[in-house]
Amino acid sequence: KEEDVLILLQRLKAAVHYTVGCLCEEVSSDKDMQFSKQTIAAISEVTFGQCENFAKDLEMFARHAKRSTVNTEDVKLLARRSHSLLKYITEKNEDIAQLNLERKAKKKKKLEDENRNSVELAEAGVEESEN
Amino acid sequence: MADNFSPDSEPTTRTLLRRVLDTADPRTPRRARSTRSGAQRDLLETPSTRRQRSQTKMTARRRSHTAASVDRLARIQASGHLEEQTPRTLLKNIILTAPESSIVKPEAVVKLVPSPQVVQHTRRESSRGSLELQLPELEPPTTLAPGLLAPGRRKQRLRLSEFQQGMDWGHLSQEPRENADASSLTSSLNLTFAMPLQPQSVKRPGLARRPPTRRVVDVGTFLQDLRDTSLAVAPPDTVLEDTQPFSQPLAGHSPSVHHSLPCPSPSGAKEVEGPASRRTWSSGPGLQNNRPGKPAQLLARKVEEVEALAVGFPNISSISGEDGVEPLQNGVGEEAEESMEESMSVREVEKAAEEQGSARAEEPEGHTEVAEAAGSLGSIEAKEPEGSSEDEDPSGRLASPKLAPSTPEFLRTRRLQSPEPAPPPSTAVLPSELPKRLSARIPPRPRIPGSRPRQDPYKAGLNHYAKLFSFYAKMPMEKKAVEMVEKCLDKYFQHLCDDLEVFAAHAGRKTVSPEDLELLLRRQGLVSDQVSLHVLVERHLPLEYRQLLIPCAFSGNSVFPTQ
Repeated sequence: KEEDVLILLQRLKAAVHYTVGCLCEEVSSDKDMQFSKQTIAAISEVTFGQCENFAKDLEMFARHAKRSTVNTEDVKLLARRSHSLLKYITEKNEDIAQLNLERKAKKKKKLEDENRNSVELAEAGVEESEN
Repeated sequence: MADNFSPDSEPTTRTLLRRVLDTADPRTPRRARSTRSGAQRDLLETPSTRRQRSQTKMTARRRSHTAASVDRLARIQASGHLEEQTPRTLLKNIILTAPESSIVKPEAVVKLVPSPQVVQHTRRESSRGSLELQLPELEPPTTLAPGLLAPGRRKQRLRLSEFQQGMDWGHLSQEPRENADASSLTSSLNLTFAMPLQPQSVKRPGLARRPPTRRVVDVGTFLQDLRDTSLAVAPPDTVLEDTQPFSQPLAGHSPSVHHSLPCPSPSGAKEVEGPASRRTWSSGPGLQNNRPGKPAQLLARKVEEVEALAVGFPNISSISGEDGVEPLQNGVGEEAEESMEESMSVREVEKAAEEQGSARAEEPEGHTEVAEAAGSLGSIEAKEPEGSSEDEDPSGRLASPKLAPSTPEFLRTRRLQSPEPAPPPSTAVLPSELPKRLSARIPPRPRIPGSRPRQDPYKAGLNHYAKLFSFYAKMPMEKKAVEMVEKCLDKYFQHLCDDLEVFAAHAGRKTVSPEDLELLLRRQGLVSDQVSLHVLVERHLPLEYRQLLIPCAFSGNSVFPTQ
């Protein structure tokens, strides 16, 4: 079991490292500046550690709010330190909320339309039958 | 050597030696040589032998020791004999005068050897009695203490718990005793275990703590002042942690950002910007409360310049909250003097504002700087609101070192966020939590309102911490360094209290609770699955401190540090 956990950790770290490498390549091509391998490794290690911390913090926040599910509120609390990040997250959150609302509205409309259609059909059917 | 023991009282080394001297053949060949080393060894042996009380063991050992010592005395060609002494006479003197020098310090023993001759009569009685207790001398600690004396020299402000007081009185009572026996070294050996602390408390008066003196606090005027100060718009500033180095002032954005935070929903731009400013640490030079929009914009521009350089001290200005811009700006002005030139613009404004407080300011430095920057930026605008704020809060000052920075902000944001009068209960809880969380170094004391310039309450608390810091640094600190430490401490405490507030809001509460504190400590890593909060409390808050804290906690957030 422990070995499995370790293997899993290694795979995760490798994945993070790869992603960080891709991002660094993008940035280097953008800014015309090279990234050394140690830098990428350092960044990926730090990122991994921070992800662990984030997860623990999120869990603590959710438990603090007496919930068993991590919420967007918890995420916002986590990101409160960095203004721009917080702004970004809240904007995204609002977008998502809007999308949800729109979807709900659409669904409602569809349902209503269907109902109306069925009612109309029924009425039409009744009329026809009457006629 | 034939030692004839009489089975009467315990055969002490003294008696043994006497017997030896009486019975042993005078060994003349090296008579003239004084045996300093031999005497030393003898002395060294006697304490060790005395320590073991079992007779048989002792006698055997003593026999061997004394035999060995006498042999050594005879044999040794000691260098530099002090007087015309034989080992015999030396031993006699030693016995009579009972030198109780420690094993640790042979030099003291050396000194002791010639002196017994002079003092032997006077010491005869005392020496006998004090033969029993053998403790190492206290000289090593006393030599250390002067080294530490320099950094600890300050500190009239540290306060003493009753416990420590008791220790000090105990030490002082022992002092006369020591002085009486100054000539002999015996006194140093008559110490109890408490004695070693005395040199510290005597030589490091900085550690001494005075008992807290509590004065009457005018709660009514204080709360009045809190309510009177108006809400002001603050141009938000960047936090040092901001990831974008050249971000624009988030005047428009941050309100929305904070609006979406899990706090009670603010109403109105002003209120929203209030928390934004609070959060951003540095809302201009703390002009948030009383400035109308225009000076705020003026400051916002300057703040923009400052942002890029992430100067921290405006943060101090944001502390004072209702209590008026003055203490902030005075405090900020102080630091502005020393800090970098980057923040010239903000500094100027602050100094201009500090003019207002100059009447009450105690820092002469601030005065000179204020005079320089007098006519520069928005000084006129600064004066008017300043004047109004001055009138508004004549008395009650928030002054608790760690509470005041947080609670006024807390109060202000509470007021901003929720119109209902939540402040009293929330802040009442806050003091109880904060002392619990922070090590209770300062029991905040109430002050006579209106007796001190305004910036002192905030600076005093941080001053205290900074001085403690410099004490533990064990080396002298530059004034700039001290101020920098104060700045960092201020930011730290602000951040801390903001976190507490946010945690409480996150749980849907308006009052900070121990749960929030536990969460905070957990994030800091102090509380873990192995170490719980109560363990920390037990470890760091002895009962004496808790007794000091409790009146502070129940004071309803009206606490002030002494000056």
